[in-house]
Amino acid sequence: MRVSYQWLSEYVDLNDVTPERLAELLTSGGLTVDAVTTRNQGVEGVVVGAVLACEQHSNADRLKVCQVDAGTGEILQIVCGAANVRAGVRVPVALVGAKLPGGVEIKRAKLRGVESSGMLCSAKELGLEVRLLPTEQTSGLFLLPEDTPIGQSIVDVLHLDDAVLDLDLTPNRGDCLSMRGLAYEVAALLGRRSHFEEKAEGHHLDVSDTPQVRVRIESAGCHAYAGQVLQLTGNHQPSPLWMQMRLLAAGIRPIDAIVDVTNFVMLEWGQPLHAFDFATVEAGQIIVRDAEQGELIETLDGQKRVLAEGMTLIADPKKALGIAGVMGGANSEISVGSRSVLLESALFERSHVRRTGQKLGLRSEAQQRFERGVDPAVQIPALKRAVALLQQIVGATPQGGVCQVTSDSMPSMLAHEVCFSPARCNQVLGTSFQASEMRNVFSRLGFTVIGQGETENWRIMVPSRRADIQLEADLVEEVARLCGYDAIPATLPMLANAPGRVGESYKLQKMTRSLFTNCGMDEVVTYAFGHPESISCLRLPENHSLRQSIPLLLPMSEERSHLRRHLLPSLAQVALYNLNHGVKGGAIFEISRVFHPYQLPLVQQPEERHSLGALWFGHTDIELGRPTRAYTFFDAKGVLEYWLMVLGLQENLQFTRSHLPWLHPGRSADILVNGVTIGSLGELHPESALQLELPRAIWAEIDLTTVASLPVHAWQVHPVSRQPWSYRDLAVLVDHEVPAESLLIQVRKNALAVMPHLQLTAKIFDVYSGKGIPVGKKSVGISISLGLEDATLDDDSIQRIMDAILHGLRLEYGAELRGQDS
Amino acid sequence: MDMDKLQRDIPDLRSKALAELSSLEDRRTLDAWRVEYLGKKSEIAQWMKMLGNLSPDDRRMAGQQIHALRQTLESAFTERMREMDELEIERKLREETLDITLPGTPQAIGHLHPITRILMEIEDIFVKMGFAVVEGPEVETDAYNFEMLNVPKDHPARDMQDTFYLSEELLLRTHTSPMQVRVMEQMRPNIPVKVIVPGRVYRRDEDDATHSHAFHQVEGLVVDQNIRMSDLKGTLEEFAKALFGPEQAVRLRPSFFPFTEPSAEVDVRCIHCKGQGCRVCKQTGWIEILGAGMVHPNVLAAAGYSPDAYSGFAFGMGPERIAMLKYGISDIRLLYQNDLRFLRQFSQLR
Ligand SMILES: [Zn+2]
Repeated sequence: MRVSYQWLSEYVDLNDVTPERLAELLTSGGLTVDAVTTRNQGVEGVVVGAVLACEQHSNADRLKVCQVDAGTGEILQIVCGAANVRAGVRVPVALVGAKLPGGVEIKRAKLRGVESSGMLCSAKELGLEVRLLPTEQTSGLFLLPEDTPIGQSIVDVLHLDDAVLDLDLTPNRGDCLSMRGLAYEVAALLGRRSHFEEKAEGHHLDVSDTPQVRVRIESAGCHAYAGQVLQLTGNHQPSPLWMQMRLLAAGIRPIDAIVDVTNFVMLEWGQPLHAFDFATVEAGQIIVRDAEQGELIETLDGQKRVLAEGMTLIADPKKALGIAGVMGGANSEISVGSRSVLLESALFERSHVRRTGQKLGLRSEAQQRFERGVDPAVQIPALKRAVALLQQIVGATPQGGVCQVTSDSMPSMLAHEVCFSPARCNQVLGTSFQASEMRNVFSRLGFTVIGQGETENWRIMVPSRRADIQLEADLVEEVARLCGYDAIPATLPMLANAPGRVGESYKLQKMTRSLFTNCGMDEVVTYAFGHPESISCLRLPENHSLRQSIPLLLPMSEERSHLRRHLLPSLAQVALYNLNHGVKGGAIFEISRVFHPYQLPLVQQPEERHSLGALWFGHTDIELGRPTRAYTFFDAKGVLEYWLMVLGLQENLQFTRSHLPWLHPGRSADILVNGVTIGSLGELHPESALQLELPRAIWAEIDLTTVASLPVHAWQVHPVSRQPWSYRDLAVLVDHEVPAESLLIQVRKNALAVMPHLQLTAKIFDVYSGKGIPVGKKSVGISISLGLEDATLDDDSIQRIMDAILHGLRLEYGAELRGQDS
Repeated sequence: MDMDKLQRDIPDLRSKALAELSSLEDRRTLDAWRVEYLGKKSEIAQWMKMLGNLSPDDRRMAGQQIHALRQTLESAFTERMREMDELEIERKLREETLDITLPGTPQAIGHLHPITRILMEIEDIFVKMGFAVVEGPEVETDAYNFEMLNVPKDHPARDMQDTFYLSEELLLRTHTSPMQVRVMEQMRPNIPVKVIVPGRVYRRDEDDATHSHAFHQVEGLVVDQNIRMSDLKGTLEEFAKALFGPEQAVRLRPSFFPFTEPSAEVDVRCIHCKGQGCRVCKQTGWIEILGAGMVHPNVLAAAGYSPDAYSGFAFGMGPERIAMLKYGISDIRLLYQNDLRFLRQFSQLR
């Protein structure tokens, strides 16, 4: 809401309160002021002038030479290029020495040989908001009414000496969507009185007169409907300049006197009004009824709209005339020929208006006010005010009396009662305000207090304009707000001390983040929305469930239209972005949710699983003494092994060959703990990589939700041997296909068979094939360390163990000894 | 053996041997010198064998002299050996000198995403203050996201948060506040309820420098008997001091959230200008970092805690906004771009 400071100061004494100070005051009272702008954008020395004569410039087709009386005591000759300049018009004249917005200073000049002492101005040159003005006022000079006094400063004429406060109102404060409501609030904040003297005179509305219009309410969407018929004298005319300027300041487009009056009164009272051409109302009968499904209406903006159930219509016995509280119909619009007008001042149900506006995609000033709640007490006063203004401005005459109908659902116009305990108020706020301070707050707000003392409950009578005050808590906020939140001290809750906790699943995510970064991986955070086709990089069969992702009903783009079920597309995008920006490579990971619907269309909350995705792409960083190289399967496996070890999941851990379609079949593995698959890793399948436009990359994914459910291996420290360990290396020849890990398992098995208490580790230190090795074979180097907790292993025992190991390897894998070292 | 000759030969041998010794430069010649002058076939050894030919007096005198000579040569040899070792070490050290300006062996350095860093900081502070960390679903029902938070259907407060709907009743949560109700429902009738809820939220906003259709929030909720608004202020002040420094202060301003009453916007002193006023804080000296308030009686009631017996406070903050303030990031989209040249700057831990 845009608020004119001048207008507001008619209701509250703001003599000692600058617009900036007022903005601070409102903001600290919870009504945020986003900006304060002065209406005068730099106009100085511009006055009203009358063009006395206007002749063609002898030397320029598009210029005219004007004789202008600007009240300076002499006739000024001014050259002007505007198309609408002519003798007789009154226009803003920038005198020599005048200043215009944008730092323009007017100087005496010669235009094509003709002296020009000043400049005739357009609306834009005066810094007015031209987007809100009709084209006839913006193309060419800004023509002023014929009775505008010559010589008067344009700053006064156009009320430019004003500031506009741009208020960002919270939805609860519908009362502040009007100048009067805001005046109450400002008065309360300042601790001053507001005063509303009626400026318009001569309204002779007689409620007892028989109305010319009859009204029937048939819809629950309408609580009250008041109407007054007025006779028009005929000529369609603009509203007075002062009213246009008020509307402009509020950001509302001036249109004509009738529309402007309805808008002006809406700004003043917060009550939206609507004017119908009464001649179009069949039988003088207004029926407020529910729309029928599929009913059509053409609205004022020329759009044909299809209505639905739940919408409320203003209609006559034959046709719809408008959509209640949202927009009028084209068929009943006031036109140049209209001779009588029906002014509507109604109270429509908030939720109906909102639902209707949303369904139709409309959002009018009226609608906003109805949505946030209009004071049930102002329909008649606002109507009277509008009638008086129309009488005054266009000479309209009321026909008959006001027709006023209310439904059973009509809210009370009287103040409502809310209970309040001063003691509880202090308890909730942690303050020690005196009862008198609280009493003072309510009096400033215009609320009546019934009750005495500090210990008993008070009854607070809240006027109908403050429908947002319903509970004691609302009154507590008013006390805090007007006493200032700064008065609330800082304390800590008096609770039983309990240590903070972090849930196991969350802890796992945190640990995983740390462990992965410990391995040199960079964490990324990507959006959860994706293109439905992005999943195709997984090379899944057509009917695979992963292809079914949850669509947003109203996505902002096709690219972000579905909830992702897999992290690969997002991480691949990050990799691609970085490669395209000169980053040579990276190891990245993300922990995020993936969304698996139980069925589509969605009927219940989907399963949300915590997924970890990791991608190694491009090349390793430059490192002294080591050539950069592409990341390999083993870089990924190393990270995962470290992570699993730290999490205590290394027991019963298996990497088995994977058959996932997005992974290279020979370079990928499923990861199993205790036989449960927790994820997979591997080089991307070349076709997947191609689709993702990535060069070779390694991908790993872990289902953290599954990992969180795994039992953690309880561990204890084992005593270590007091003696130094013995070491033996051996190299064996085996078939190329034999998995190296199975050799280690065999080594362990055979060694322990000889000596069950043996402490033993066995590691692969070399795998070699090529020169010197028969085709189809490989040489595997195994380093074995061994010892006993409490005794020395003698050479004989070691030899027996090594023999058993070799025997076992030979038996199981046909291994041939290539060499042995101690 | 001639005693007189011996009297000449001993000093001669001493000066000859010592002179030779001082000219030797390596271990091999040094060993040869030792064999020559102190070995079994050395002159000294010869003399010792022949001592018996002398008269007892001469024998004693010559014996002492030869012995002294031997000792002199032996200690000279030891000394020379030591010098040689030192030289050797020096030479070796010289040879082994490194270019210490070359880089150290690189360690694997990964980087937590700035949002994670801030989330962890926030969580740590609240966990130390006794809060439990819980998580909730990102796909929520309209009931939990709005209705039980005192935002009925067709209420204008819904305009405050543009929503991505998945169906009539299901949506992507627009805030972490639905967990206020879920947590209370789970805990009921136990007190105190004292949790924070970090997580992603979604709003149907066009992405620009300060808006993102997806971002994070940390919700806080404390419910007990006699929780006061001053407790909210004190708790947030502790938090602000822990996050931004001990001289921090917070300011509450009235505001409106449907699910709290009274409601407040919470500002901290501008961390750029220390409250003096600058471009970042629009010259106010304060920066808004979160919204908060006393849990609305309707919300308490919806979650099964009688508003007559219990009260509580709640707050919600945006880690992105805090990260942007703390690290001087001017565009929220940078946080979701994942440019590694950007992310790899976040290596310093303090
Ligand atoms: Zn600042």
